[in-house]
Amino acid sequence: MSGDAIGANTLGVLAGCMLFGALAGAVGTFVLARRRALVADVAGHAALPGVALAFLAGEAIGLGGRTAWLLLLGGAATALLAAWCVPALARLRRVGNDGAIAVTLAGFFGLGAVLFSVVQSHPAGSQGGLRTLLFGSAAAMGRSEVVALAVLATATLALLLASFRGLTAVAFDESFAQSAGLPVRALDLLLTVLLVATVVAGMQVAGIVLVVAMVITPAAAARALGGRIARVTATAALIGAATAALGVVASRTTTGVPTGAAMTLAATAAFLVALPSGRLLQRRTA
Amino acid sequence: MTAALALDLPALAAALLATLACGTLGNWLVLRKEAITGDAIAHAVLPGLVAGFLVTGTRSMPAMFIGAALAGVAAIALSTLVRRATRLGSGAALGIVFTAFFALGVLLLETQGARQVDLDPECVLFGSLETLFYVAPQDAPWHAGVPVEIWTLAGAAAVAIAFSAAFGKELSSLAFDRAHARLSGTAPRAVERALLAVVSVAIVASFTAVGSVLVLALLACPALIAAPHARSVRGQIVLSVAVGGALAAGGYMLAAHAESVFGARSALNAAGMIATLLALAVPCSHLVRAALSSRSA
Repeated sequence: MSGDAIGANTLGVLAGCMLFGALAGAVGTFVLARRRALVADVAGHAALPGVALAFLAGEAIGLGGRTAWLLLLGGAATALLAAWCVPALARLRRVGNDGAIAVTLAGFFGLGAVLFSVVQSHPAGSQGGLRTLLFGSAAAMGRSEVVALAVLATATLALLLASFRGLTAVAFDESFAQSAGLPVRALDLLLTVLLVATVVAGMQVAGIVLVVAMVITPAAAARALGGRIARVTATAALIGAATAALGVVASRTTTGVPTGAAMTLAATAAFLVALPSGRLLQRRTA
Repeated sequence: MTAALALDLPALAAALLATLACGTLGNWLVLRKEAITGDAIAHAVLPGLVAGFLVTGTRSMPAMFIGAALAGVAAIALSTLVRRATRLGSGAALGIVFTAFFALGVLLLETQGARQVDLDPECVLFGSLETLFYVAPQDAPWHAGVPVEIWTLAGAAAVAIAFSAAFGKELSSLAFDRAHARLSGTAPRAVERALLAVVSVAIVASFTAVGSVLVLALLACPALIAAPHARSVRGQIVLSVAVGGALAAGGYMLAAHAESVFGARSALNAAGMIATLLALAVPCSHLVRAALSSRSA
């Protein structure tokens, strides 16, 4: 990846990042409604062991460690496993939801740290390896990574739109959804799959540690502005896309700032603006 | 002292002292269903730590301590504000605040040249147990060669144990019945704030040596491992620290000697290995409990 190739790619990277931001905002609206904000945090951190295993597998079978689709697949596998572990552990006596989240996050991220150290000591991993995946780096994205991100994000967004009504019913009125004969458990699982797909799509850009911020903060800002679910989802997608773009631009103009940190701070700023604005809007309409 | 011991002993001591500090306090967090608060604080202290570093220009412990403790307390206060101003629930409110704090910390680290000293984002996450060494001083007493991290951790462990012993009654009555505790003369707010402050101290002391992943594991796992077997709070604390300490020592040795144990290319990340073992032990401990009670029934 030479500097010139990145220069020619800049618009593509920007478009890919904005697509991810829009997806994260839209999915985040449902994640917040289902009170799953911290499961999003678990899913992000739990992608690390899968990504590291995928890197080592890619090297072993001769595809190369940084094969984009292989990393996405590995990250999604362990993130899904962790999302399944949380409710399973929460059923144990005296563990509870809170303890289950803490234990799952610690276990998967701990295993990720161990495997990360294996990758860093691997001859192919010593030059950079997976370091950019921790806090995100739009600048380190090559053409194949942008394509993988765009395909995954588009497919996930399409799936979200196709199941919009069912997800809305389950997220906002579970008992109604149940009595209306909707497959509540299947829709819940679908939301988990959408969340995991979003998180792994964003890990190159926003980073494993901070990707959760792009899922919850733009959606929280959109909710503060108020409105019905379709409008909140659209607003969250817009805020997500805008803050992702801001993050990419800021991290490219200021050397050394990881994209994930810049995006998170941009999303936090949007939330801080939206909170009082939403109050004003509601007071005016009331 | 043999060469091998000089290599392993400081890291082992650091891991055990961190278990003592975080593991003891974790019991109170777990009883209060606040295990995740520890994770939030562990992320939120980063900008304070870096700011303390930037102001003094050195890795001066007191400055970093004050900065980090202030950041931790501010983050918890802010997330309470966000929770009250929105209808998002405590998880989302914590998430919004601690990601913002952590991002700010990473930004400061990367832009302000703090990286030149060994405070880089990677070791903030995964710790640097492997880099603690004991160098026997030539013309000074033996303890002059002990790394500063060990002294800090020992202090934090002493504070954690003293706090738990002094306020054990108040903390347990608060955890089980807040209304009753208030009626019987405990000031819930004051004790809760003190607990948060002591947890922040333990986190900051552990942070530079063991990293945020192991801090989180130590706050949640030992208490949850001990919970199904203990008959009293005191018993749970003692059991949690004993089992946590054994797993910490075992995990460190597995990681540090991975070349001979697993045939790995080099040593593995010790903090991650300990965190993995601690997390795995939680469901195992519950399975053991279930098997024991079905046999006696």
